[in-house]
Amino acid sequence: MQSHIVRCPRCQRRLVSSGKVNLALSFIKAQPHRLDLLMRANGQAVSVLKHSLRQEPKAQELKKALPQQTPLAKYGRYGFSLGSLAACIALLFLMKIGVFSSMDTVQTRGQKVIRRYYVKHAGQDLADEVFPTDTGQSPSANSHGPFTT
Amino acid sequence: MFSKAVSYGSLWDFAVPESVAESQRWVLSAMHKHGQGLVTMLWRILGNEQDVCDAYQDTFLQLAHFDGGRKPRHVKAYVFRVANNVAISILRRRIAEKKRFSRPKTEAGAARSPVDELDSKYLQETLRIYITQLPEHLRNVLTLRDLAEMSYARIGKILGISPGTARVYRCKAVQLLAVWMNEKEQR
Repeated sequence: MQSHIVRCPRCQRRLVSSGKVNLALSFIKAQPHRLDLLMRANGQAVSVLKHSLRQEPKAQELKKALPQQTPLAKYGRYGFSLGSLAACIALLFLMKIGVFSSMDTVQTRGQKVIRRYYVKHAGQDLADEVFPTDTGQSPSANSHGPFTT
Repeated sequence: MFSKAVSYGSLWDFAVPESVAESQRWVLSAMHKHGQGLVTMLWRILGNEQDVCDAYQDTFLQLAHFDGGRKPRHVKAYVFRVANNVAISILRRRIAEKKRFSRPKTEAGAARSPVDELDSKYLQETLRIYITQLPEHLRNVLTLRDLAEMSYARIGKILGISPGTARVYRCKAVQLLAVWMNEKEQR
């Protein structure tokens, strides 16, 4: 589809035009109005209703009504903070249940298995060269090994 | 016997307007419930605050007088459809008046530079003009979807069509608007 549009001037024109329509719609949606517009509209509409309705307390409330924010718009600004907090809690939870120490154990055991494989197939010298950790360092602390970046 | 019937009749005549007024509290409830959404939609269609107030007033006046003051079965559907139609009528009238009073300016508008064509106000006005020219079924879906920001399911309920049909109509409306805007650009 994309390669066709790159080659077809007619489709390009179509795409540009529909983009322009979407742009115009976005402009229309982004245009703000005065905050008291709802109040004014309600006031004007209530004024043509029956006298008994105009006297209702609800009608008086409508004349003072201001636009209400949706919950999404209201609490959206706290989204990033809430997300960060949730990530911290998740990390703490993972640490608490021992996921990270288990991962460390798995990594250590994996390296031991691979070292044994090297010893068996390539010799002790090469294995010591590739995994110099046996001299005292723990294999997981080896930052120059072939499985670390 | 007959006089008794007459007296009951006159009593009934007095009672009816009172009960209608009593029962029409739902108009205020509808205004409270759908007012904000309606004002947003009308503002986006019309882009003029006084026109928005006029269209809003007209909508609720029609609602209050619907079928002798009875409550429509689907108030939201009724209110949004009426508001949509009223707004489009106002917009058409405004466009016609503008054309009548500023003909030389409109002709000059044809020779706009590409930079001007990305101008926000110009694009908005052009789109509004073309929205009024769309067939009714496409226009209703476009305004409810893009200007009132309703879901296709809700639009389907309001217009009595399936959500899939609403989706297709919206796509057709955008295509048609794109073709018209493209034609205008080439002219």
